[in-house]
Amino acid sequence: MSLLAEKDKKYLEDLFEKELENNVKLIFFYDDDNAEYCDLESQLLDELRELSEKIVVEKYPKNSEKGSEYNIEFAPALLLTLEDSKDRGVRFYGVPSGHEFATLIQDIVTFGKDARPQLSEETVAKLMELDKPIRISVFVTPTCPYCPKAALTAHSLALASDKIIAEVIEANEISDLSEQFGVSSVPHIAVNRNPDKFFVGAFPEPQFLQQLLELSE
Amino acid sequence: MGLFDIGSMSAEVKEYYDIVIIGAGPAGLTAAIYARRAGLTVLVIEKAIEGGAVTQTHIVENWPGEISIEGQILGQKFADHAKHFGAEIHYAFAQKVTAEREYKIVEFDNGSTVKCKVLIIATGTEPRKLGVPGESEFRGKGVTYCAACDGYLFKDKDVVVIGGGDSACDESHFLAKIVNSVTMIQNLPYLTAAKVLQERILNDPKIKVVTNHVVKEIRGNKKVEEIVITHNETNEETVIKTDGVFIYVGLLPKTEIVKDVVTMNDYGYIITDENMETNVPGIYAVGDIRIKSLRQIVTATADGAIAVEHAAKKYL
Ligand SMILES: Cc1cc2nc3c(=O)[nH]c(=O)nc-3n(C[C@H](O)[C@H](O)[C@H](O)COP(=O)(O)OP(=O)(O)OC[C@H]3O[C@@H](n4cnc5c(N)ncnc54)[C@H](O)[C@@H]3O)c2cc1C
Repeated sequence: MSLLAEKDKKYLEDLFEKELENNVKLIFFYDDDNAEYCDLESQLLDELRELSEKIVVEKYPKNSEKGSEYNIEFAPALLLTLEDSKDRGVRFYGVPSGHEFATLIQDIVTFGKDARPQLSEETVAKLMELDKPIRISVFVTPTCPYCPKAALTAHSLALASDKIIAEVIEANEISDLSEQFGVSSVPHIAVNRNPDKFFVGAFPEPQFLQQLLELSE
Repeated sequence: MGLFDIGSMSAEVKEYYDIVIIGAGPAGLTAAIYARRAGLTVLVIEKAIEGGAVTQTHIVENWPGEISIEGQILGQKFADHAKHFGAEIHYAFAQKVTAEREYKIVEFDNGSTVKCKVLIIATGTEPRKLGVPGESEFRGKGVTYCAACDGYLFKDKDVVVIGGGDSACDESHFLAKIVNSVTMIQNLPYLTAAKVLQERILNDPKIKVVTNHVVKEIRGNKKVEEIVITHNETNEETVIKTDGVFIYVGLLPKTEIVKDVVTMNDYGYIITDENMETNVPGIYAVGDIRIKSLRQIVTATADGAIAVEHAAKKYL
């Protein structure tokens, strides 16, 4: 049975046809742990690939050469890249389902336009000054209405700066990590994988960046 | 919500619209439906997902025509309806509003802007804080305001819900399906929710109701571990062990972006005339954000219709 409804498929087909200017690569990692979620996401990606010739899907076991190359820690994992497979710091741990599916689609559209994020000049200028790497971990749930905004902002920042990695983590599926980070309210945004450095809630771009920079000091 | 929801996909923003609406809740989406049917161009700006506060409501049972419907589904229906008639929705924070003589300008959080002749503010409300020690300290460490977002993170755990109104009862009922136990704390001697909701609560073996108590403090080490409540008359203190605190003690208007533009009352609700127009010509306010006696979906949608009907005749 198809995961995507027929009318959604039609919508996405038109959207990709209109918006995608270049190929977008979805690099997927699976594992025996979380097999159920891995199977689900694998099927989802197959269905997306059917909707546009510009969507390229690659699949690897988490414990593989590719997995280590991209430093994949959990499965299911999804990395978005351009044709060159270069890691741009945009990844999902756990299935991008529920409201988070829209984040994935928005990401695909952004990559389909040469991976250029739409950020303000002030934000881009501040990112240019970054001198050390930052890892943003955005914990989300599929039922959280405020999460897509936080997830997209994090991914956009990663695209604008090669110092930033932004991982969107489904808190229920990657439960070991979310428990370790004491996630109890989403979006929960942890900085540099430090459980003590986090903020909660969806913020406009300038405030998101400001909190991120303060916590990464 | 479907397993894979494409609701919140952004429209590409044009330079100008006849009407720009901030907030894709019932009020804003109804305004969009009326505007499109009047042949006007319309953009709705939304910072979260389409549907507004309704999407966080467990079950709605007072929207005529639907005996009982999940808030999530009703919110989606409003949005689908608006999009069916060609309303565009853009996902961003509206950060700033400026009113020139004929045009209004809205700035997004990424710095870009959009221009319109008529601006409709439909930004709704946000949860009121309880204002007790520990509340902000444990935000994100067990204190939350959104059962829809965070409920599953408390699977099989013990939680308390603060409040005794419609929202508190509805969300307790939802949480009871997921968690081990719910203890409701209400400051009044009785619940204030609609009778049907109260009965549902009282019949649920997983929910315990403690009335006549106020919350004094939320305590814990790294995360919430207990709350301290005191009896209204005897002042006697009780400590309740808990993993999470869900707070539903009322709402505050979200008027930050227009506070220097339109006139509001002392509580921050926008003042309008009977056509929903504010003191600034061409700027309207609809739904929970304006002064009114009943904040519900039916009144929010009605506001949206009235505003557009008036604006279309007067300005467009
Ligand atoms: C838990 C709960 C249960 C409820 N149950 C019922 C019920 O059973 N029946 C009933 O009739 N009513 C119920 N209500 C009330 C009902 O949800 C509201 O009256 C109604 O949603 C108000 O609609 P609105 O469009 O005015 O505002 P909202 O629905 O609050 O929508 C406002 C929208 O504006 C967006 N927004 C705010 N600021 C900005 C910004 N700066 N930029 C961009 N977007 C912004 C918000 O994200 C939001 O989506 C309930 C409310 C709650 C909280």
